[in-house]
Amino acid sequence: MSASRTTRHQVRRRMAATTPLLLALLLLAFVVAITAFGDRASARMASETLIRVTLVAGFWIFAGNSGVISFGHAAFACVGAYVSAWTTLAPAMKATLLPGLPAMLADARWHVLPASLVAGLAAAALALVTGAAILRLSGIAASIATFAFLAMVNTIWANWTPVTGGTSSVVGLERYVTPWVGLGWAVATLAAASLYAASASGLALRASREDEVAASASGIDRYRHRLAAYTISAFFCGAGGALMGHFIGVINPDAFYLNLTFLMLAMLVVGGIGSLSGAVVGVLAVSLAVEVLVRMEKGVSLGGLTFALPPGSQEILIAAAMILVLVFRPAGLLAGREITLPARWVTGRGAAND
Amino acid sequence: MSLQLVFDALSLGGIYAIAALGIALIFGVMNLVNFAHGQFIACSVFALILPSADAVATMGLGALPAPLLIAAILAFGAGLAVAAEALVFRPLRNASPVALMVASFALGILLQNILLVAYGGRPKAVSLWPQLGSPVQVLSAQVPLLQLLVIGAVALILAGLALMLKRARVGLEMRAAAEDFDMARMLGVRANGVISGAFALSGALAAVVALVLVTQTGVADVRMGGQIMLVAFIATVVGGMGSLAGAVAAGLALGAASALLQAFLPVEARPFRDAFLYGLVILVLLFRPQGLFASVGAKPRV
Amino acid sequence: MAKLGVFDLAVRYGKLLAVKDVSFAVAEGERLFVSGPNGAGKSSLLGAICGAVRAAHGRVEMDGDILSGRAPEDIARRGLSMVPEGRRIFAGLTVRENLMIGTGQRRDRAAVADDLETVYNAFPILRERAHANAGALSGGQQQMLAISRALMTNPKLMLVDEPSLGLAPKVVDEVYERLCALQALRGLTLVIVEQSSTRAARVGGRMLLMRGGKVVADGDAAAFAAGDLLAEAYFGDPS
Repeated sequence: MSASRTTRHQVRRRMAATTPLLLALLLLAFVVAITAFGDRASARMASETLIRVTLVAGFWIFAGNSGVISFGHAAFACVGAYVSAWTTLAPAMKATLLPGLPAMLADARWHVLPASLVAGLAAAALALVTGAAILRLSGIAASIATFAFLAMVNTIWANWTPVTGGTSSVVGLERYVTPWVGLGWAVATLAAASLYAASASGLALRASREDEVAASASGIDRYRHRLAAYTISAFFCGAGGALMGHFIGVINPDAFYLNLTFLMLAMLVVGGIGSLSGAVVGVLAVSLAVEVLVRMEKGVSLGGLTFALPPGSQEILIAAAMILVLVFRPAGLLAGREITLPARWVTGRGAAND
Repeated sequence: MSLQLVFDALSLGGIYAIAALGIALIFGVMNLVNFAHGQFIACSVFALILPSADAVATMGLGALPAPLLIAAILAFGAGLAVAAEALVFRPLRNASPVALMVASFALGILLQNILLVAYGGRPKAVSLWPQLGSPVQVLSAQVPLLQLLVIGAVALILAGLALMLKRARVGLEMRAAAEDFDMARMLGVRANGVISGAFALSGALAAVVALVLVTQTGVADVRMGGQIMLVAFIATVVGGMGSLAGAVAAGLALGAASALLQAFLPVEARPFRDAFLYGLVILVLLFRPQGLFASVGAKPRV
Repeated sequence: MAKLGVFDLAVRYGKLLAVKDVSFAVAEGERLFVSGPNGAGKSSLLGAICGAVRAAHGRVEMDGDILSGRAPEDIARRGLSMVPEGRRIFAGLTVRENLMIGTGQRRDRAAVADDLETVYNAFPILRERAHANAGALSGGQQQMLAISRALMTNPKLMLVDEPSLGLAPKVVDEVYERLCALQALRGLTLVIVEQSSTRAARVGGRMLLMRGGKVVADGDAAAFAAGDLLAEAYFGDPS
């Protein structure tokens, strides 16, 4: 084998590098198709789907690499959404809705982009502090602790009325998210997720997921890598939460509780937690199913007859689908595989004859 | 005041302990953290009343005389749990604990939305045994009759369960299965029997919690099992995963901590009681990640 | 008819083929040692026989009944009992509870009481410690408990995996002495995994030698110890 030839290892690395590129192209094609041919409703659906890609790919950075299921990531979205509301809402609005805000926040009137970045940073900071405690626990116990964290954030947000508005909604957020904004964040998240997965920390974390014995021999390292993944992951979920607020224009704590947790988990499980491509495919598949079911809940006319599913059947069917996937295709639709270009496309001419 | 606090702590802790046992029993035999347990509780509450979207509930099973009602609801909870095992968890018998946990979470969402479809989302007023709210004088304290009944019932249930685990064949098999399920099977212990038994017991315990909750609050709400399930989870983690005695002890301790927080937190901080409780637990786990009541490698014992 | 028949049995863990096309038969009342180096597939073979491990192909029969594909508890209830590697006693249960675990399917309470008496007579220490936690027993006592626990299911065929593991030679002598006595008393058929072929030769019986997942030799244990078949089995070419 000559030195100029690409080694198998390099081929694999190049193939891995094509994954975020291909996923980004997939999402781009999705946005282009919808803006070209779809109506306003489909454009809204596209934005929403891309926000979910941001959330779920962010979630995957932790869950996919560590193998630990977190129930707490919706809480990061919650924190992100409120940080963005605190920094972007008109001061007059804040004076009535959120009278308890400190002066610095009460007077702030930021643009949405820096606000979403700060929202991500705030979520990441919270993840760093709480993760330092939670991630010391073993896998299952850590999952339970993340659930406690979710409930804790929800309890605080639902009762800290002067600052969060309590259970009533905060309204008037600038509706800034278009499919293109969503695409930008989704692609940025995918890039960060694949960079992390290819980093030394990501590799070590996945190795520890696959080999518990080897992992327990280096328990301290595993803890540090978990914490790193948790923090990065929280950043994107925080930003994704901010985007959710600036998509609907209205936020309240219950929008970031069990249903969002469930949706994020369902997407990850359906697509397959083992790969980033799985996370993206899961978002697309479940979003499509949700869209169809929501339309059916509103009522569908078939030959003069209108029939509608009762509200709530969307969750019932998705939960049932999720259980079926776990039983019959436990690794998800993509079964841990990444979408990549074929090997001969990335090796150049010389290796094509191998 | 202080005696009143003792009764509050005991009755709340007792309910937490019963809920935690329901979680720990199933975790012990099949390493499943059952996120559907809260919905087992909620479904048992709603089984008392007839499906409708009205604000005031019409009693269904709840109209039965007390002894029949209790038996029917316990049977309902047990049946629901056994059915859930057969339909959802049995096909996943060889799946990882993470997959089992995620499936139970999905099952919980599924059950919650079935309740929403059948009963609507608004909480309903349910008047079950309102006479139990009347206070009784115990030494220096005024205690609601219900609280005394709860404390008595919890003591009875715990004693009965301990006796069953210690003396009955199925109890022996459950304890063996909790230690080493595969070995127990190689000795002829039927896996399906033990697992169904654990689910039936867990479901019946969920029904007990449901009865107490609905009598105490006078409300049926789709979300009512969630908070108590979370406290029960925390109790099982703090008690050392899978340790039944640890779960009971931790449940009682959390009840006491809750009652103390409720009594001594400043009024404006009281809505955050549960947040304080969860934060406290995360702090505790920082220092004892293996749980408070279990030594490292300890096996489930009652 | 053979007590136990194994036909073309294969066990696979992912890509690794741990047992390759193993066939043999064991007669009623026979004592068969399975020996060979680490990784020869001995434990996987026992696991596949008792149903703890799924066979990739091939089948196992006991008294002409097909065992393959049955749940471990069904196999146990048909009279095949396992003393696993590492003993796996229930440390949190008492000694007596350990003994009673496997008696759930037995309807004849008097026979169970008799068996308990037999076991207590064979291993008086178990009677003495009946109500102590099994985890508190010494290694040798735990091995005796594991054997007795398997006996309490009233087996016709008993599989014993590495009974000498981690025990002092004197204790191993004692374990084998009692095991053979119980075999004679109950007319048991025994299949024992024993890494030391000299030990097997000393106890006496037939011996299968395994290497690389295959049976490479089959004969009298004493003859093996004397000859150089053994060296060939360990170091020779398996194919």
